[in-house]
Amino acid sequence: MNSSGMILLNLLSVLILLCAFACLGSKLFDRYLTYYALQSVLLSAACAVVAYYLDAPALWVLAVLTMLIKGVGIPVTARRYLVARLSLKRDAAITLGLSTSLIVGAVLTGIAYFAMRPSTLPARLLDTAAVPLAMAVVLLGSLCMVVRRHTIAQLIGWLILENGVFLAAITLVASFPFIVEAGIFLDLVAGVLIMLTLVSGLALRLASTSASELRGLRG
Amino acid sequence: MTLTLLILTWALPLAGAIVPWLGARARVIGIAATAGGAGSLAAAVTLAVRMLSGHPIERLDGFVYLDSLSAFFVVTVALVVTLAGLGSYSYLRAEEERGELSPLQVRLYGTSFALFAALMIAALETGNLGLLWVLIEASTLASAVLVALEARASSLEAAWKYIIISSFGVTIALVGTLFVYYSAASLRMSPDQRLTWPSLFAHAGALQAPSLRFAFLLVLVGYGTKVGLAPMHTWLPDAHSEAPSPASAMLSAALLNTGMYAIIRFQALTAAVLGRYANDVLLVFGFASILVGALFMIGCGNFKRLFAYSSIEHMGVIAVGLGFGGALGIYGALLQVLTHAIGKSVLFLTSGEVVLRYRTRTASEVRGLLSLTPVVGLALLLGSLAILGSPPFGVFLSEFTIVRASFTGPASWLGFLLLALLVTAFIAFARTTTGMVFGRPSGEAVIERAATSRVAAAPLLAGLGLLLVLGIWIPAGLNDLIMHSIRLIP
Repeated sequence: MNSSGMILLNLLSVLILLCAFACLGSKLFDRYLTYYALQSVLLSAACAVVAYYLDAPALWVLAVLTMLIKGVGIPVTARRYLVARLSLKRDAAITLGLSTSLIVGAVLTGIAYFAMRPSTLPARLLDTAAVPLAMAVVLLGSLCMVVRRHTIAQLIGWLILENGVFLAAITLVASFPFIVEAGIFLDLVAGVLIMLTLVSGLALRLASTSASELRGLRG
Repeated sequence: MTLTLLILTWALPLAGAIVPWLGARARVIGIAATAGGAGSLAAAVTLAVRMLSGHPIERLDGFVYLDSLSAFFVVTVALVVTLAGLGSYSYLRAEEERGELSPLQVRLYGTSFALFAALMIAALETGNLGLLWVLIEASTLASAVLVALEARASSLEAAWKYIIISSFGVTIALVGTLFVYYSAASLRMSPDQRLTWPSLFAHAGALQAPSLRFAFLLVLVGYGTKVGLAPMHTWLPDAHSEAPSPASAMLSAALLNTGMYAIIRFQALTAAVLGRYANDVLLVFGFASILVGALFMIGCGNFKRLFAYSSIEHMGVIAVGLGFGGALGIYGALLQVLTHAIGKSVLFLTSGEVVLRYRTRTASEVRGLLSLTPVVGLALLLGSLAILGSPPFGVFLSEFTIVRASFTGPASWLGFLLLALLVTAFIAFARTTTGMVFGRPSGEAVIERAATSRVAAAPLLAGLGLLLVLGIWIPAGLNDLIMHSIRLIP
């Protein structure tokens, strides 16, 4: 992989991390989905860059799948069937203030850089700079899941985490044989989660375990 | 021939997935589940016997791989599937008669049960880490349908919690798998070989230590979520208490063990490079799980949740046994895998019978089981004693072995800590269940005093009988199988 490819990949990784931060700093369900879709498109582009420079057909497949399923499919479905149908606007179930969670996010990014500094990483990496970025995205996705109680917000947190994992996968080990299968599989899980949320009308704070409240919200 | 047997172990339970869609009703679905489990068990035992004399089976570049350790786990899981299949028969028939479950729900149950069983067994029979990951994740999806089956608001919530937490864990396990793959980057191997147990073990000494250490932590957190190790256990009590009881038995006795199997493999791989590092990490997570399990058992009013916390505690004991290591610790841990699986199947199936009669999961509303339904009461009493590790049942032997290992281990105070925690768990658990077994039946409770059917009693008595046998005498074949497995774990 030459230096221009490397620069492109690093740029895309930084933008992917920024999308995760944008999501963490937002309160509107619409925005969550927009940032997630944007992040997925960027991931698909990063995947295509690696595929082009390493000439890996499996990664081309992954790039196309990421674009179609994560970039378009999941955001559109979630917007139409969850956000619009349940008329969700503002996420009120956030346990940590936005600015505080951004600061925590920054600390986590620092930790990711510390834990993944080049000396701790194995030799012969494709791109040493992108690995800590990917780990930071994983941590930010987890943070989204932890500080938000709303099922849809948690789902998006998990999806961001998953994007981070795939960024790590393509930069760490482009030859990983199971990457396409794993991608399809996790998309399947996302589909099941969206369906479960939709079918059960479970769009409420998970913090409340009262069964009567659950029944009251059922459409 | 051996390959045919190996395919049969997962194909027979899988066949049960089609039966519901051929127009079968509850009775036939239950029979199919039991027959699939029994057939699988027979094939698994035959395979295990062959493992004692022969070499591991390795086909298709390691995508199919079986050695004595996996054979031991396959036997355990197939046994649980058989017991839970019998339980499903009586559960489905009773609920169908009452009209609690619609025909669609009965079918969904049959299909998901079959898929769940087949996926878990297949996960134990692959040598490829990627395929293992896919199969374990797929089994989560199949079992989530079972958790949500009764479609109460609370069971849907439990299913949501189960999928989102497990998926989180499994995604972390994927990162761990990536790092294992990466630790072999400098070796001359094909991409598939770098993800296969036998070839990784053959080169274990040459793996890169930093990325392997990181990989083990990620994998332990990831698959540990499946196993229910504290603090990743939070989905477990909800899912176990909301699922239909035979499905709870499968979750507790089969799924947790499948996750534990993955952890044991990674531990063995890590030990070759990093020595006792993996053991120490396992000790920490194991003791945390025992502590959480024992403390939450105190004052737990829902008896299915109580059993679930007991599962967390037992998984902790197994992790601690593995953590102490040595022949003694691993022997105890593996024996505990088997005895806990049988004991917990019996307890969850018993809880199913109780729920069927009382329509409640609250322990204080259930009194005097022994006089009302003697078979269920006896099974609950003996099952509780067995799972708590009283002699003469099998769990006593395995826990005793682990406690002995703890005193020969690095620090003997850990042994005293383990004993104290086990005693706490004993008191908390026994207080609740003895209240249910003895006590005076309250007049207000509406109890359908239907006698326990023979089919419902069969898995309870069979399981208790097996536990009794294992407590007194360990068959030479089983002993050899465990000894062979120990040699695979450094």
